[in-house]
Amino acid sequence: MIESRVIEHDIIVVGAGLAGTWAALSAGQQGVANIGVLSKIHPLRSHSGAAQGGIAAALGNVRPVAGTGPRGPLEPVPAGDEPPDSWELHMFDTIKGSDWLGDQAAIELMVKEAPEMILAYEHMGCVFSRLPDGRIAQRRFGGHSAPRANYAADYTGHVLLHTIHEQALRHGVRFYSEWYCMDLIVEDNICRGVVALDIRTGALHLMRAKAVFFGTGGYGRAWKITSNAAANTGDGVAIAYNAGVPLMDMEFVQFHPTGLYGKGILMSEACRGEGGYLVNREGRRFMEDYAADKMELAPRDLVSRSEQIEIDEGRGTGADGQGIDLDMTHLGREKIMTRLPQVRELAMNFAGVDIIEGPVPIQPTAHYSMGGIPATVDGQVIADAAGTPVVGFYAAGECACVSVHGANRLGTNSLLGASLFGRRAGTAMAAFVQDGAGLHPVSGDPVARNQARIAGFMDGGGKKESVGQVGAELKETMTRQCGVFRNAEEMGKALEKIKRLQQRFGQAGIMDKSRRFNTDLLGAIETEHLLTFSEVIVASGLARTESRGAHYRVDFPKRDDQEWLKHTMAHKASDGPILSYKPVHIFTDRYPPQERKY
Amino acid sequence: MTGNRMEASTQSAAVRIQRFDPDVDKKPYFRTYHIPVTADTTILDALDAIKQHQDGSVTFRRSCRHAICGSCAMNINGRNTLVCNQPVRAHLDKKNQISIRPLPYLPIIKDLVVDRSSFWEQYLKVKPWLLPPDGVPEKEYRVSPDEVAALQNAETCIMCGACYSACQVVALNKNYLGPHALLKAFLRVLDPRDSQPGQRLQQLDGDYGVFRCHTIFNCIDACPKQLNPTEAIETLRKLIQKRVTFAAAREVRQEKLLSESR
Repeated sequence: MIESRVIEHDIIVVGAGLAGTWAALSAGQQGVANIGVLSKIHPLRSHSGAAQGGIAAALGNVRPVAGTGPRGPLEPVPAGDEPPDSWELHMFDTIKGSDWLGDQAAIELMVKEAPEMILAYEHMGCVFSRLPDGRIAQRRFGGHSAPRANYAADYTGHVLLHTIHEQALRHGVRFYSEWYCMDLIVEDNICRGVVALDIRTGALHLMRAKAVFFGTGGYGRAWKITSNAAANTGDGVAIAYNAGVPLMDMEFVQFHPTGLYGKGILMSEACRGEGGYLVNREGRRFMEDYAADKMELAPRDLVSRSEQIEIDEGRGTGADGQGIDLDMTHLGREKIMTRLPQVRELAMNFAGVDIIEGPVPIQPTAHYSMGGIPATVDGQVIADAAGTPVVGFYAAGECACVSVHGANRLGTNSLLGASLFGRRAGTAMAAFVQDGAGLHPVSGDPVARNQARIAGFMDGGGKKESVGQVGAELKETMTRQCGVFRNAEEMGKALEKIKRLQQRFGQAGIMDKSRRFNTDLLGAIETEHLLTFSEVIVASGLARTESRGAHYRVDFPKRDDQEWLKHTMAHKASDGPILSYKPVHIFTDRYPPQERKY
Repeated sequence: MTGNRMEASTQSAAVRIQRFDPDVDKKPYFRTYHIPVTADTTILDALDAIKQHQDGSVTFRRSCRHAICGSCAMNINGRNTLVCNQPVRAHLDKKNQISIRPLPYLPIIKDLVVDRSSFWEQYLKVKPWLLPPDGVPEKEYRVSPDEVAALQNAETCIMCGACYSACQVVALNKNYLGPHALLKAFLRVLDPRDSQPGQRLQQLDGDYGVFRCHTIFNCIDACPKQLNPTEAIETLRKLIQKRVTFAAAREVRQEKLLSESR
């Protein structure tokens, strides 16, 4: 038996993607020396690195050639010319994209700080694609009225993640690689630390800290067809909820329009940003029926719904009619090789298609979690609609809900939000620690409690269920009954099914009984987390009797600002989540709610 | 494993997996699992299916499923590769068999999971981070598209370890920096924003640097991203010969970078 230790840090960061690494780096730069970063996979394996198309900021480096209209070819803006883009435009696009559920003060802050964020990455060594004069290249993205996706070919997240990780190493940040955070300790609304599993040894440790930060990523693995990495099991979201922290706007889950057919793997929105077409069985660019102005570059919620309607009405492509063709053949070899090299490789490897030669079949895929742990722009997690802080607990990135993305996130705003709010949280935590925050005592024995949880999975006696089977049924349920289109009847059935699965899970055991690097055990804990937050997603979605952004109710197809211009807050109770609501921050003079048309 | 437009017929594959739990086993051994595969079943799909339906104790790393996170490098029939983007069928022998081993020459933690500590230590040794010039510029540094293109061979490296574990020099000498670290060093030396190319080249000229490479090309063969560490090593060797002038030229370039970014 490997000994359990008590480890103490000023700050513990959980998750080492863009949000977590920025939080650690910025807290370190503010003078906090004793920081530990936990990640269940090596930091460079984090899912931030899978982002492809770009990171948003209104640098105004390019514009459409005069006289070619808003979809015309792009050219560099000559020095001294009026900038074609502004933070105000970025702000409005983000608010409209969010279907007015985004908090406008938070959005304003994000878009104003965005250009400086890009420059910070550039000065740290991020290799962006460039214009002929050496400025950062920009491309179009869905729902943005100007080309403001700053990119590195189609592996933008990869270069951002490697750049920030390298800088964190340079500044001596300590990483606990392949340590899994199992539990969050909150007593009397004060966060005291976490319980972590050292995956390699199988030992559980109590990790105490003055401040804990979660940058644990999204929850797309609850769906069968998803773009998300295997790691994106919403651990932080479920752990926080179990610790009594509410979850906000969980019903808002973005389905990306271009997941590789049958696999769900992402084909970057840059495919459409660079001019790719979506084509139905009749060979027609059907987006003209749904968003005549923006066409393929309408926001993701709208494009995914349009695709699903085409498929449901028998105009899908492929042998079973369940796909849509993404056609980039007209872009030509050179553009594809320089702007979309990775996409081409993906299509060749996973669909056997060279996108230079032919269209690739795609379908909507569960992609981004707009909801999560409610946090302020400084990462401070809140305990209720009144904004009471959970002292010492911070969150940013996809696991958090600030909310800047509201009911539907615009592409390229996620890398921006994760970086910027991660960095702000790091600064806020440094101030919190330096203002004299202390380590708070931990009551009971949380390590023993989690040891018992593990023993429960390992216990061979009379286990009738398999973790894998329960997980598979959950994913099937979420895909069929809580997907692009929803209604009361189906979600009601899904909620009952999830409750039954939760009960069955109590009877589920695992096959690997060893301590060392037990990924069977990790899979079980992750599945428990999926079951925990999926109930919140469905309950929140069932209650919200309107359609807004990514949450589309066939039985309530209109947005209802009278009743529903508010955030959902879900607190855990013994028989399911208790829902309450929090107002949306709106500058009524500047950006009052409008009809959302593209 | 949902079918797509590829041929949907199934066949049975014998998947031989090297197993080893150092807490229990004296030495590694193979176990064979039989599973149905279609044309688009990847090796990772096969491992997932075996783990879920046959043997939950089979242990491997994976995450993104599309060749960008670098978790799942393994040795397939004697060659290093990622398993997430490789169809099983492409690797079946005449007996419909495929052999999966962990990356060679690295300590095994369990089954297909190896200890990459030495890999990361070498990576740290080359100071993989940019060392920018002094002074905070107002705008982005004006880096030309050609300068960016020169870095592409290195910037898309996903640090999977396939090259490192295929390198004969690494196998014989753990002090050698290795192809991955040298590729990263190449990225920094060639980046016009880096202020220390001279010092970096000096380090790479040392006992365990670029001149240790025997140009066996195993790294190129193993790289799942089609990168060319050997070419990068060749470039660094040439730059070492003219290190002083290269460093001086960088200083001039940086003055221009700084003046243009205001």
